[in-house]
Amino acid sequence: MFTYDRAVLFGAAAAVRLFLFTAFPSLPNLLAGRVEVSTPVTSFKRLQEGLFLYSHNVSPYDGGVYHQAPLLLPLFSLLPNPSYHPLATNLLFIVVDLLSAYALVQIASSGQASVTRFFKSTRKDLRWTNTAIAAGFLFNPFTFLTCLARSTSTLSNLFILTAMAKACQGASVTFLLALSFASYLSMHPIILFPPLLVLLYDARAMRTKSTANPVAFTAIHTVALAGMIGALLGVSALLTDSWDFLASTYGVRLLLPDLTPNVGLWWYFFTEMFDSFREFFLGVFWLHVVSYVPGLTIRLRKQPLFVAVTMIGIFSIFIPYPSIADAGLYLSLIPLFNHLFPHMRYTFFALANTMYASFLGPAFYHLWIYAGSGNANFFYAITLVWSLGLSIIVGDSVYAALRDELDVERPDLRDKEVIRI
Amino acid sequence: MALISSLLALRRDARVQKLPPYLSALLVIVGVAWLFALPLDSYSRRTYVSENALLPAQVHTYFGGSEHNIFRAYRHEVAALADSSVADRSKKLADIFRESNLKVASQKYTYSAANRTIDNENVYAILQGPRADATEAIVLMAAWKNMDNDINYSGVALALSMARYFKKWSLWSKDIIILIPGDSTSGSQAWVDAYHDAHDPETIQSLPIKSGALQGAVAVDYPAGPWGHRYDKLHIVYDGTNGQLPNLDLFNTAVNIAGGQMGIASTLQRMWSHSDSYRDRLQTIFRSMVSQGLGHATGPHSAFIPYHVDAITLKTVGDGYHDEMGLGRTVESIFRSLNNLLEHLHQSFFFYLLLEAKRFVSIGTYLPSAMLIAASFSIMAIAKWVESGRPSSVPNPASTKPPPKASDSKAKDKPTEGTKKTDAKEPAPSKQASSDSKQPKTEKEEKEKEDSSTTTTLQSGSSKSIIPKAFTSIVSRPFFFPLALVLAVHLSGLVPLIAFNHFPDTELLALFRTASNLIIMVPIFCAFAIRWSTNMDVARPTPQENNLIQCFSLLFLGMLLSTLATINFSLAFFVGLACAPLSFVRESSDYITTGILYGGLAVINPLAVAHLAMKVGGVEILDVLVKASEGWHVWGMWTQVVVWLVWWPAWNVAAFVVALGFF
Repeated sequence: MFTYDRAVLFGAAAAVRLFLFTAFPSLPNLLAGRVEVSTPVTSFKRLQEGLFLYSHNVSPYDGGVYHQAPLLLPLFSLLPNPSYHPLATNLLFIVVDLLSAYALVQIASSGQASVTRFFKSTRKDLRWTNTAIAAGFLFNPFTFLTCLARSTSTLSNLFILTAMAKACQGASVTFLLALSFASYLSMHPIILFPPLLVLLYDARAMRTKSTANPVAFTAIHTVALAGMIGALLGVSALLTDSWDFLASTYGVRLLLPDLTPNVGLWWYFFTEMFDSFREFFLGVFWLHVVSYVPGLTIRLRKQPLFVAVTMIGIFSIFIPYPSIADAGLYLSLIPLFNHLFPHMRYTFFALANTMYASFLGPAFYHLWIYAGSGNANFFYAITLVWSLGLSIIVGDSVYAALRDELDVERPDLRDKEVIRI
Repeated sequence: MALISSLLALRRDARVQKLPPYLSALLVIVGVAWLFALPLDSYSRRTYVSENALLPAQVHTYFGGSEHNIFRAYRHEVAALADSSVADRSKKLADIFRESNLKVASQKYTYSAANRTIDNENVYAILQGPRADATEAIVLMAAWKNMDNDINYSGVALALSMARYFKKWSLWSKDIIILIPGDSTSGSQAWVDAYHDAHDPETIQSLPIKSGALQGAVAVDYPAGPWGHRYDKLHIVYDGTNGQLPNLDLFNTAVNIAGGQMGIASTLQRMWSHSDSYRDRLQTIFRSMVSQGLGHATGPHSAFIPYHVDAITLKTVGDGYHDEMGLGRTVESIFRSLNNLLEHLHQSFFFYLLLEAKRFVSIGTYLPSAMLIAASFSIMAIAKWVESGRPSSVPNPASTKPPPKASDSKAKDKPTEGTKKTDAKEPAPSKQASSDSKQPKTEKEEKEKEDSSTTTTLQSGSSKSIIPKAFTSIVSRPFFFPLALVLAVHLSGLVPLIAFNHFPDTELLALFRTASNLIIMVPIFCAFAIRWSTNMDVARPTPQENNLIQCFSLLFLGMLLSTLATINFSLAFFVGLACAPLSFVRESSDYITTGILYGGLAVINPLAVAHLAMKVGGVEILDVLVKASEGWHVWGMWTQVVVWLVWWPAWNVAAFVVALGFF
């Protein structure tokens, strides 16, 4: 599994990260304070606050600052205090990134992106090497910044990628474990369960050449996932001696009480809103995110991995507290579908748009917060552009996937222009 | 949707593909012409005070009478300090403040830049407003030495007497801080950094006493000696570090009070005589853009602006009939206005270009000019991207060689843009064609077939046309090498950036000369190295890679400049203008063209342009380099970053691509 070039790549990625951590010791703190990188539910600074309270035997959720999962606390309290001895923490985040890249390599080498149980893309030979895909993740500037900011979304990204990798390999138990950890850490990955379950089912069917009863299969896995998440929550309750953490972690993600700006679309909308409409629109916004799952899973039944990746793209736009970590995860998964690139029509435009937004965003935030010469609308306008760029990539890739299916169904239509009426 | 796809189909039109260079050039021309339209009456507006709490010139001023005698006495006291040491001077100034029953403190600071040490001391006093709760403060400044390095005798004396005078009033609802910085730029920088706890306590003392949030700052620059000097006008200086400007309301208030209440004319940007003609207005715009683009500190007020404290400097200029009491009353009235503020100045513009004291252009009107120039790079980047996706050799469609049969049987329907709708409505012909064609064989065979056919047939309705496949196919782009090269060049800009900011002053001139020569050689050397290190059979980088290199470089340039334009319009405009020719150069196989292009590029390299600008501006190279180093270490100026990490890489990549023609 570990070839020479892959070892070089992983070594280089770790070395560059370690170099930046040690050469610029103030960089992680600077990045951890940037709203584009750290959100209230992933920020390392808030984690430190939670750790401080936890190590002083106060409930970490008392201050109203810490909104992350309770199990992170014992993990990080084992490490030396990052304010004085940051090396161990930095190494942890580097290892997490490398493991994520390794999971991505596993996804790529399973080939589920272009050849699934019911579907074989006409351009399936058009693919990047696994190492190139891993490089796209490890040297993606967004992944890089997230790792340097030590945002805990790197951990949930690791579990999401591992869940996808294990689903591709048809490994039920590890898949369920990874997905339950991902959902436990950041809640929204549970939405990935339906497409990933389909992927798991197909992968197992391909591997064992026999099909399990779909109803029983779904029931067993759903119960098992519920059990695992229940166990994690139970351990958390034991750890903090109360169930209060539910309101401070998942409650915050669901109900958006912290309106710190981020790259998403929710914060501005909810600052402007009258309180009486809040609950209604919270429902509408969440329903909107979830509503993509059944549609995409049913329509793209033959390409479940693509559905999961598209859902990750949708998360990076529409969840309440998105950051560049989510966009980085999505943009690193897209190269798995190199066979769809010839069908995509706006790649350059969308990527240039995303790059423009990633430069203009910090500039406008500076004008708003530091220079005082701009206002909230400046930054919000750029988050709209950013989301536009990402949604163009999402929309365009879905078009490409459908076009690819059409090529298989109707080989005579290959290379012809398709017009939506 | 149909509209979008027909627009997309336009990409393939040969005429459209020829368009971008002209469009790009047009945008640059329009961008520059735009600037020349700004001084016209129809594009500029008269200034107005937007914040109604300010009420400028609505109060009677009482600074006069016996205060005049006190002022003259202080002026002699200050003049007596001219030759004393920094410590003695600080002690004396502190004593004077203390006599007025103010809280006094001093702050020592040491900066070192380019091997020169700036070592001085600030003295300041806090007047606690009788109606204030120490949450807000306004600052009156008089630097010991002004920007021309003259001792600010009358300015300091005025600050001292204003402090004594202000203390008598019971109407202050904000604290007033009277600050005497040791020099005009570093002193106020050290003080304002320490006020916001953003200083390095090793070299800059922390402030022992503080007040609330700063709401505004006014500096007085009046270097007349102990016997006074009657001035003609007030020169209002408003540029902050990195081209950030104070709220226009503060400037308007000063102009309004000086002109309306005191009858003192105001001027700006060293326009000592301003006839309000088109020419003078344009010159004012140009000077303010140069000052903003350089991003240097222009007075003691400059350090305040990055902290979102609106600040201006009032400098007396010329020979006239206005005396120190007029200036004192102007300051008094400005402080009465600032005292009225209910919230931070926010109503009026933060981005503006002033044409004269009472006319301005707002950002909405002038920003398009820099944005158009930045957009010209993006357009060329898109054009280069499209070009890189096309095969390099297009077969002659009029060739007498008959097209292979395979293409006929396959009947590729690629509707042209004009007939798309009809085609969409009647899918019958294409279906028929597909049913006629044989079942697809294995994919490999089909691929081979495709490759062998160089033309494709377009069919719409009953008409057919045969066009070379090269026009419609997209080849894959090897973008790793170009992207890595462009990023490497951008990163290598760190080397000169660090060198220029850390060399001692004795070496700076030599460094500049060496860099000026090296900068021209580097692209040739890189081009040689890359040609030499890669296989000569397939000359790398290939024309396609060249296109991509230029595409990424121009994309970055356009992106960075449009970002910069929102922060520092003038710098983005000037750098954009200097980079405009970079869109139009390309590799040429013939030595003469390459030589001419390279010579042209060598003339517009960043250091040559900077050298020329210094010659025209009549400033010494060394002074500029030392100031730049000081700006980097003391003021937090990042003009150099733009030069070395945006401008130079863009130039270097373009020069590299041209230099490839030599080898």
